[in-house]
Amino acid sequence: MMNAPDDIAISVKDLTVGYEDNVILQNVNFQVRRGEVFVILGVSGSGKSTLLKAMIGLYPPMSGEVWIDGGNLWAAQGKERLSLLRKFGVMYQSGALFGSITVLENVRLPLDEFSNLPDPLKEVAALARLKLVGLGDAADKMPAELSGGMQKRAAIARAMALDPRILFLDEPSAGLDPITSAGIDLLITSLHHFGFTFVIVSHELPSIYSIADRVVMLGSGAKGIIAQGKPAELRDGAADPWVRRFFNRQPDPSHSLETS
Amino acid sequence: MTAAAQNELETDVEVRPDGRARVVFRGRLNEQTVVGCWGLLEKELPRTKVETLQVDVSGLGFCDAAGLTLLLYLNMGRMTPQATVSVFGLKADLEKIFRELTLEDHEAFHPQSAIKSDSFVEKMGRKVRQMNKDFQEEMDFLGAVVASLPLSIFHPKRSRWTETRRIVELAGANAVPIVSLMSLLLGFIIAFESARRLAEFGAQLYVANTIMVVMVRDMGPLMTAILLAGRTGSSFAAVLGTMKINEELDALETFGLDPIPFLVVPRILAGVFVTPLLTFYSILMGVIGGVIVMLELGFALPLILHQLASSVHLNDLGAGIAKSAVFGVIVSAVGCWYGLRTQQGPSAVGLSTTRAVVTSLLLIIVADAFFSAISYLLK
Repeated sequence: MMNAPDDIAISVKDLTVGYEDNVILQNVNFQVRRGEVFVILGVSGSGKSTLLKAMIGLYPPMSGEVWIDGGNLWAAQGKERLSLLRKFGVMYQSGALFGSITVLENVRLPLDEFSNLPDPLKEVAALARLKLVGLGDAADKMPAELSGGMQKRAAIARAMALDPRILFLDEPSAGLDPITSAGIDLLITSLHHFGFTFVIVSHELPSIYSIADRVVMLGSGAKGIIAQGKPAELRDGAADPWVRRFFNRQPDPSHSLETS
Repeated sequence: MTAAAQNELETDVEVRPDGRARVVFRGRLNEQTVVGCWGLLEKELPRTKVETLQVDVSGLGFCDAAGLTLLLYLNMGRMTPQATVSVFGLKADLEKIFRELTLEDHEAFHPQSAIKSDSFVEKMGRKVRQMNKDFQEEMDFLGAVVASLPLSIFHPKRSRWTETRRIVELAGANAVPIVSLMSLLLGFIIAFESARRLAEFGAQLYVANTIMVVMVRDMGPLMTAILLAGRTGSSFAAVLGTMKINEELDALETFGLDPIPFLVVPRILAGVFVTPLLTFYSILMGVIGGVIVMLELGFALPLILHQLASSVHLNDLGAGIAKSAVFGVIVSAVGCWYGLRTQQGPSAVGLSTTRAVVTSLLLIIVADAFFSAISYLLK
């Protein structure tokens, strides 16, 4: 069963994903180390979200494997699969908080379903997670009463409910103002210090420079990884000029409106 | 002193008569061991009034989030109210997280303010004010619809006929199979039930009259309207409600397009057009159902047809069809109204849909009763 060395949290092997005849990513390989902030980036339509869904068990790959903490996610069945799913938490792009219950109840929900802790402790556990993300005083609010940034924080708290060591975050900074976005980055950095491994889908460059240990970049036409490494290294020394342009926010000359 | 050893955790609980208590954890504090020692703590700690509680965790080799939660719980004094609690002996890394999470301000999580019970008069007043506001809004909506209708009718080029045609297809043509089945079975039911009773008087031939009168004057329009309320009114509320939540209505307004003529009027026109047609079709299918039963009872087809033709006048059919047009307006307008009033949140669309169906059904029955009374008085 054990397939990955101890310092590897996630291993993606020859992963091919797509919809029917349309292959989006082909033979993708990479590994995420424990305690690392790993960012998957790429332009819109490059397959970032599809890759994420294949990694968290939502979208079955056409072929290939996803190993999480030494377990093959797509080969596991029943209780084995459930125990693999409990090794990670996911924050969805929109937060995906359940709107009909309070923020505290949102965080408590996974504990009520899966934890054997006594009820009074479940409440404290949920409160502690909210406090950790800076939402201690928003526990009794409904999700609709929170701002976009607060909803994302609450979603991170919910993702941490069952104490996973790996957190997947889908576009944590998307749609947020720079100050709120920087606040989310700071939260990720603090949680990183507590030993969490992060896999983050993003294309917010300031955020990537601030938090990422390593990135993989997906190409829109390449159906796979076109670059990987540390963000600053890719910005300054990537072999592919397109990758350098991406990291330096330079427009594609072929798309210029100027005709002269 | 009480001692408990379970799995990998050893817990010592000591409660002195002078109000001083001490809990010592040794080993591994994880979810399993927390659950194991919880019963002991709950049993021992509240036994005497504890004034100071010391929690010694220097012997812990491992403590996960569940363990930390137990320590936070004890530190908050949840198990020993009014006691001064100190947790000591945490390893440096855990100490940092523990201090970060210390929920001393836990009362702030549950603000007790703002929960004030209103008196009966205040509640009544608030309700009446809300009803008044709702009524004003309903009248505004009705006024806007009525004001928009002439524009659509007299300036056909400015109307969204493509949208109206699409809704007619969805609400009308697509409803034909279910209306067929419902009306045919309704015809069967009325015929069978009336045949049994009328047989006692040797008047089974009048089953034809019963079916014709019931279907034309009441059951045809009523059942079709009920079906449309469930099928089409709810769909209008859900579509407009989702559009509102997705800010599509705001987008329309910023284009300078009023949602009433743009979205509501085509639906009302489609409702007015489709409901009489479906009602006529429903009457036809109900009568066919009745005729099938009568043929089974041994009556000849010409006799049945003669009996059917003599039982109602064209006026009756006209009244039934006119009534159905009103039902069509009710179903469409109520569906659109609740759709446009949809609030935020995931349950909002469901709530609008439910309200649209319930209100439509109520108004349909009220309108039907009104029509029956008018019809009786006019005779």
